[in-house]
Amino acid sequence: MNARTKKILLVLLAVLLLLGSGQMQKSMNVERAQLGLTHVAVLENAPPMLAFTTVALGGFRGLISNLLWMRANDLQQDDKFFEAVQLATWITELEPHFTQVWLFLGWNMAYNISVKFKDFSDRWRWVDRGIILLRDEGLHYNPDDVLIYRELSWFYQHKMGQNLDDANMYYKQQWAEAMKPYFGVNGTNFDDLIQPQGAAALKLQHDFTNEFKMNPVFIRQVDAKYGPLDWRLPEAHAIYWAALGLDAATRHPDKVKQDDLMTLRRSIYQSVFQAFHHGRLITNPFQQTYSLGPNLELIPQVDAAYVQMMDAEPSMRDHIGTAHRNFLRDAVYFLYENNRISDATKWFKELADRYPDKTIIENDTNSYPRNVSLDEFAIATAQIDVNETSQERVTSAIQGLLSRAYYELAIGQDDRYAGYKLLSGKVYQRYVSKTAGANGEKRIPLPPFDVLNKFVLGELLDTQRGVPYAMRAVLRTHLSLGPETNAPAAALIGPVRAPVTNTPAVKPIE
Amino acid sequence: MQPLFAMAGLTWKAAFRFRLFLVLALLLLASVIGLPLLIQDDGTARGFTQILLTYTLSAITGLLGLSTLWLACGTLARDIEECQIQVLATKPVARWQIWLGKWLGIMSLNAVLLALAGLSVFALLQWRASHLPAGIQRELRSEVLVARGEAREPNHDAQIAEDTERTLQERLKTNPVDKADLAEVRKQIREQVRAAFQIVPPGYTRQWQIELGHPKSYFQNQPLQLRIKFNTADHSASGTFIGAWQVGDPNNTNFWRSEPMSLAPDTFHEFPIPANLCDPAGRLTVVFYNPNQTSLLFPMDDGMTVLFPEGGFALNFARGLGIILCWMALLAALGLTAASFLSFPVAAFFSLAMLLVGLSSGTLADAVDSGSVAAGNEETGAAGHSSVDIFLIPAFKATLAVISLAGNYSPIDSLSTGRSIPWSELGMAFVQIDLLLGGVIALGGIFFFSRRELATAQGTQ
Repeated sequence: MNARTKKILLVLLAVLLLLGSGQMQKSMNVERAQLGLTHVAVLENAPPMLAFTTVALGGFRGLISNLLWMRANDLQQDDKFFEAVQLATWITELEPHFTQVWLFLGWNMAYNISVKFKDFSDRWRWVDRGIILLRDEGLHYNPDDVLIYRELSWFYQHKMGQNLDDANMYYKQQWAEAMKPYFGVNGTNFDDLIQPQGAAALKLQHDFTNEFKMNPVFIRQVDAKYGPLDWRLPEAHAIYWAALGLDAATRHPDKVKQDDLMTLRRSIYQSVFQAFHHGRLITNPFQQTYSLGPNLELIPQVDAAYVQMMDAEPSMRDHIGTAHRNFLRDAVYFLYENNRISDATKWFKELADRYPDKTIIENDTNSYPRNVSLDEFAIATAQIDVNETSQERVTSAIQGLLSRAYYELAIGQDDRYAGYKLLSGKVYQRYVSKTAGANGEKRIPLPPFDVLNKFVLGELLDTQRGVPYAMRAVLRTHLSLGPETNAPAAALIGPVRAPVTNTPAVKPIE
Repeated sequence: MQPLFAMAGLTWKAAFRFRLFLVLALLLLASVIGLPLLIQDDGTARGFTQILLTYTLSAITGLLGLSTLWLACGTLARDIEECQIQVLATKPVARWQIWLGKWLGIMSLNAVLLALAGLSVFALLQWRASHLPAGIQRELRSEVLVARGEAREPNHDAQIAEDTERTLQERLKTNPVDKADLAEVRKQIREQVRAAFQIVPPGYTRQWQIELGHPKSYFQNQPLQLRIKFNTADHSASGTFIGAWQVGDPNNTNFWRSEPMSLAPDTFHEFPIPANLCDPAGRLTVVFYNPNQTSLLFPMDDGMTVLFPEGGFALNFARGLGIILCWMALLAALGLTAASFLSFPVAAFFSLAMLLVGLSSGTLADAVDSGSVAAGNEETGAAGHSSVDIFLIPAFKATLAVISLAGNYSPIDSLSTGRSIPWSELGMAFVQIDLLLGGVIALGGIFFFSRRELATAQGTQ
């Protein structure tokens, strides 16, 4: 046998052995899966480098992963974060099916690293990084992992949606800016994403599904079930990812723990509740800023969610019932505040029917629904944080309500304007009646309501210290005040506020 | 000197003959060019520059370090094993000259390769920076691509000691204590006095006066940075605390006030301050106001640092490469010394083992800190114990003392954070790493090589 033939035979033998080992590998993988020894699922759609490292490194992957963890930890201790993304990528590439690795690294970026930065833009970059890590990579390799869905939902609901982080409004604003091109100026238009008409719409759909990894059809289903939601806000996305997690769980019911499912459902309920509280984005076109308002359209959905929760978790029924009652109180108050008196009346009745034996005004032991009118309830709620005998604080509260009313008027929220104006008048009347002496004189008098009103308006319309010019123009038009002049605002004849001082109450260390 | 240069030339020839120079040069260039395409940064120009500097310089150090060890072991051990050394040893060249000549050859090779790789990194950084928008470029050149010096408040130790003694004497007058308790009382008072320097109670301010060591004109129109860190015993729901800063003395100089900042505790924060806030003597006044409901503690050593431009990046980068070259010199000495009395495979293994010990200084330090090589109980906090501790812990301490001579220098870290590497640091690195540590190793190597019988039958023959 000459050398050439020998080489050919050896190559053939090598190929045969490779094929044989491939067949053997399959049966071994089946047994490993049955015995639960290791994760044997083949990586799908993995880039070549990842496929190579996971196969070639074999058991050494864990060792290298440990070293990378240690380096990441050391660098973080030293406040050096520029390698964090790279190290996280390597670690997750070495352990692509290890759920806790994804959860920790995502959490670390969104919570631990982000807060280390003082600039909100830097913080947002890390929160976004955490989301991208889970959404684009974690779910890519673990599409049915309920825990990753839950974590992603939590980032939207808690980190972005709640106000625990000082930068939460910045996060919301950035997210709203990112979502506006896809969901429109009201955050409710997803039809163009489902059925795009024209090249531009098609590109938009392509960009959206590629960048944010969201399914427009599923968005519509979520909106139909839990909405109408403003998709520029994080709560809508928290609901989406939690709902998608529940959907994924149905594909592998045997591998999902009931506790994890419960967490996903709670995430939806809590997000819907949050969306009710501040699920409406109000744009201030004059200052290019955003503020949040309650999404009153969600009241029936939130109500239904609480009822479902109480049914699903009988052991927690009392706790959930308390939360439900608080929600109904908020709903009534918000509706009243928005001048939707008939809706407020309806839900006030619902509150009374559901919880007839529970008081509805704090620190008022007799405030059972049967003893309190809607007006009394709304005013008491407005004053809940105001010491009703504190003239200063009531003045401040009334001025705040009036400011808010004119702000709403300027940005086109007429119902809210009417609601706040009404409420400010009611708070004023209530204070006057509460502080009236035996002979009708006022013990701690407030300035006349009209003076307070003019003062607030004068402050807002002040050309130097007031709101922007365009906003002043809108207010003047609505209130038929005529164009601006250089004369001092007449309303400034009202009470003068205490001068602002920047003298700190400090004692320097000697 | 001629024999030395002749030996160095032979090492160069060997490096070319084995195509080592070419392969190394290509590997180094590939790492410099390829790494930027592979690494993932944090999305900022600053982060990218930092990770690029860290990874390319680490890759260069790693590649050169391993090749230096391999070449140092190989060039001497193989010459001995293949009896080529006999041709040299019979010439009128002293053994120490052969040894030093080889070291010189390796080092000159390293210097050229390091310069080549360093220049590539430098050019790459400058090229990428030049393509950034002007604002980001300015930020990058003032925070990373720069050599920033550090200035801190003067040491308060003398005042603390004085205040401690005065307070102690006052208390002793009213509350006499036993002699046995005196040391403890003094210690407690000292901590209280120290705390007064470090703690900023709620609603209070703290002022630092920092001598920058240069007249005001030196920093004319140059922005500075504050690097601050504070600790707190309390936790806030947001994880951050509010802080407000005033820099400059309102009575004497321009001053700047910050907006309230949201700052995390236990973290270094760096932020720029406007130029021209120093007084004519080069003194900077910094005031912090604590509006929180809890006290904040600024550690005396690193709670407040002013970073100021001290020089350009190019020279700083060159000094950083200089320290890396010092490390290479040590590795070359280590490899040659191992090859002076061991065969090539054993010398290579020995050198790598030494390198591994050097890189494991963190593990050794952990063992020394805990007082045992055995693991403690993390839940109870109980320390571990092993019967070999009595030998190993002192050995670890000695090893750490030796390693610290070379390991206390971190040019890559300094360069990636825009910190200055002064000439004095480079000089100290040369003295400690090369003259002290490398010198002792080299003397050992020359001693073994001089005493070695070169004409005996070698293992590979």
